[in-house]
Amino acid sequence: MSDSDSGGEPDRTPSLARRVLAPFADRSVAERLVISLAAIVLSIAVGFVIVLVSGRVAECSTAAWTMPATGMGFCYDPVEVYVVLFNGALGYPFAVGEPGLLNPNWSPFNLSFGLTLSETTLLIFTGLSVAVAFRAGLFNIGTQGQLVVGALATALTVIAAAPLLPDGPIAGVVLILVGTAAGAVGGGFWGAIPGALKAYADANEVITTIMLNFVAANVAYVLVLEVFRAEGSSVVATRYVPEYAQIRPWLFSASSDFALVALAAGVACIAGLYYLLEHTPFGYDLRTSGVQAAAAEYGGVNAKLTTVRAMTLSGAIGGIGGSVWVLMSEGRWMASVPDLGFDGITVSILAGNNPIGVLPAAFLFGLLKGGALEIGFQTDVPTELVGVLRGLIILFVAMPEFFRMIGRYAGMGSGGTGGVASTASEAEADEAAGTEGGEADA
Amino acid sequence: MRSVIESDYVRSLVVGTAAVLGLLGVAGLAFPESVAGDLAGIVFSASTATSTARLAAPIVLAGLGGIFAEKSGVINIGLEGLLIISAFASVYVASLVGIGDALFGVPAIWVGFLAGIAASTALSGVFGIVCIEFKADQIIAGLAVWLIALGLAPFMSTVFFGGVNTPNLGASVGWEYSTAMVVTATLASWWTLNRTAFGKHLRAAGENPQALDTVGVSVSKVRHAGVLLSGVLSGVGGSALALSIGQFVGSGETMVQGKGFIAIVAYLFGNYNPIGTLGAGVLFAGLDAVQVRLQQLGYAVPDTLVQTIPYVVVIVVLALVGRTRIPEAAGEHYETEE
Repeated sequence: MSDSDSGGEPDRTPSLARRVLAPFADRSVAERLVISLAAIVLSIAVGFVIVLVSGRVAECSTAAWTMPATGMGFCYDPVEVYVVLFNGALGYPFAVGEPGLLNPNWSPFNLSFGLTLSETTLLIFTGLSVAVAFRAGLFNIGTQGQLVVGALATALTVIAAAPLLPDGPIAGVVLILVGTAAGAVGGGFWGAIPGALKAYADANEVITTIMLNFVAANVAYVLVLEVFRAEGSSVVATRYVPEYAQIRPWLFSASSDFALVALAAGVACIAGLYYLLEHTPFGYDLRTSGVQAAAAEYGGVNAKLTTVRAMTLSGAIGGIGGSVWVLMSEGRWMASVPDLGFDGITVSILAGNNPIGVLPAAFLFGLLKGGALEIGFQTDVPTELVGVLRGLIILFVAMPEFFRMIGRYAGMGSGGTGGVASTASEAEADEAAGTEGGEADA
Repeated sequence: MRSVIESDYVRSLVVGTAAVLGLLGVAGLAFPESVAGDLAGIVFSASTATSTARLAAPIVLAGLGGIFAEKSGVINIGLEGLLIISAFASVYVASLVGIGDALFGVPAIWVGFLAGIAASTALSGVFGIVCIEFKADQIIAGLAVWLIALGLAPFMSTVFFGGVNTPNLGASVGWEYSTAMVVTATLASWWTLNRTAFGKHLRAAGENPQALDTVGVSVSKVRHAGVLLSGVLSGVGGSALALSIGQFVGSGETMVQGKGFIAIVAYLFGNYNPIGTLGAGVLFAGLDAVQVRLQQLGYAVPDTLVQTIPYVVVIVVLALVGRTRIPEAAGEHYETEE
């Protein structure tokens, strides 16, 4: 019965699995990149239409934008929305409409860009968390819960350990390291639960991780509400960790909640995970389990143990994301944890579950987050638009076949030389490996 | 073999629930002054029953919808999004028509109800096309449906009403109506799945699409129908949820608050049996209703802990019962062999 992980795929010998795997790693990267970019462009286009339509039905005294030729007035200007979204998220480096085009007063260390990078940093960790599970053929929707648990573990550990050490920068470094380790342990534990349930009880990880998200949020809330709540706090939150134990901003202003050292740690984590996945025996086991579970087992991989390890690693990275959220962004654990774990799913999917791809994908969603704030300040368009864009990007990334169809269609029209069209022949190879995207057979 | 497991499972579920309720009743009668007495008073009170009925409607209806989609071979994890979009659309259209007015003789609130169903069905149609025609990964596409609805409903609410929460309509749909719909939908679903040719096709599309193809029935048509049905039923649930209080609340996770995910749990718990889904939905909603009443009586049970019970129960059940057996071909694309 151990071959229950094989889904409907026929058994294959390991050598065949290796042959399928090797070219896939290189060939599909280009296609994934094209699809991700196409998905972003298409989402922006659909968002454009949504802004126009809602601008038509909203009420305003003067039209913000008038459609050329028709004279139809719209309350929202879709061009302005996107200019504000992307320009604003960077802190307005471009002076739109001015002759110089570049804003002479712009410095990269501005508040908006700091907020964007702060979000980027957090999303790197949650994106990596989801990606590493994906590569093992596991759909970890539970990064949010792992982040909540890791964040709470970090806050409580640092608060408990702080009195044991003399105040000062050295103690701060020690506390940050200990706190991050606690976050990794907490998140890893919370990730190991669905991993073990999947491996040894055959419980579908999609369902268990969704459930564990709710459990983590609720239990952490009650724990802090009843036991660890800071005295006199109007919200449900722990005490602040000592200032010297917070990850300090450098060059950027303190209110941006962004520390370059945390971003550097995130990038280091990307590099480390890439190396782990591509150049170590464990990474090989993990990837083969994701692509062809039955073949991996036939080739001597302990599938159950790999499942538990992958989920534990995934949870630990999510937990570190929680540590960074506590130590860099908030300075304490509070009940209103942002949806960083769910955004991590979108980041990972957009990145094609490739650790390297997580960096630009996290930056894009960081931009959307930073830009949403600017849209709120500068325009009348509801900031929830960014939430819609996020969903649309995922929807379009999820349907590569759509873009292949367009590619084939366009390819036929122009003599079959289109870049996307040439990838159509790879559809078969991708299909074989496509099971990594959603193993839902347990 | 399989039907034995299924009936065993459902029977033990029913017996277990009845035993707990029975014990509670006996304890309540024996010690009316104790916690058990209070609890029994709450569990068997009329107000708890009505709020259970109100809370159960979206869970059971979306759960029934989930059965149709998954039985046909498309895992619809976007039920949450369908509930959100129908909840908003029902309130929006009802207020557009104007409470007190009617459209073609249909009172505004029922026009809104139908509009909610239409919105959810349309979104499920998009989901179906994306999954069946464009071979999208069903889990990811389902998440996208949830995220789009989670963004779109508060966005439109802000555009139309100036805030993520709509104003209250000042009119609502009574719990009697939604209860009648839940019971009717449950029985109709059971009958459709087990007693009609369409039900047989639906199950075949999920279990053995090749066989269905061989006898000349289009697998993708059947799957589209299954997904659209999940949209219709979720739409009824979402409209019933929002119109039971006459308002859409769009802050945070919106007023749906994970009911779509609990719906998935409910049908897994009921092992794809509509009757079992009804039971599980009522059980989860009942827990929630009892918890609210306990708060009102001044028991310091942290409500969030009580709300956690269904999730823990599901994890334990999944771990102990092993896997609930999902349809053989669910989650996989089917290529017609021409």
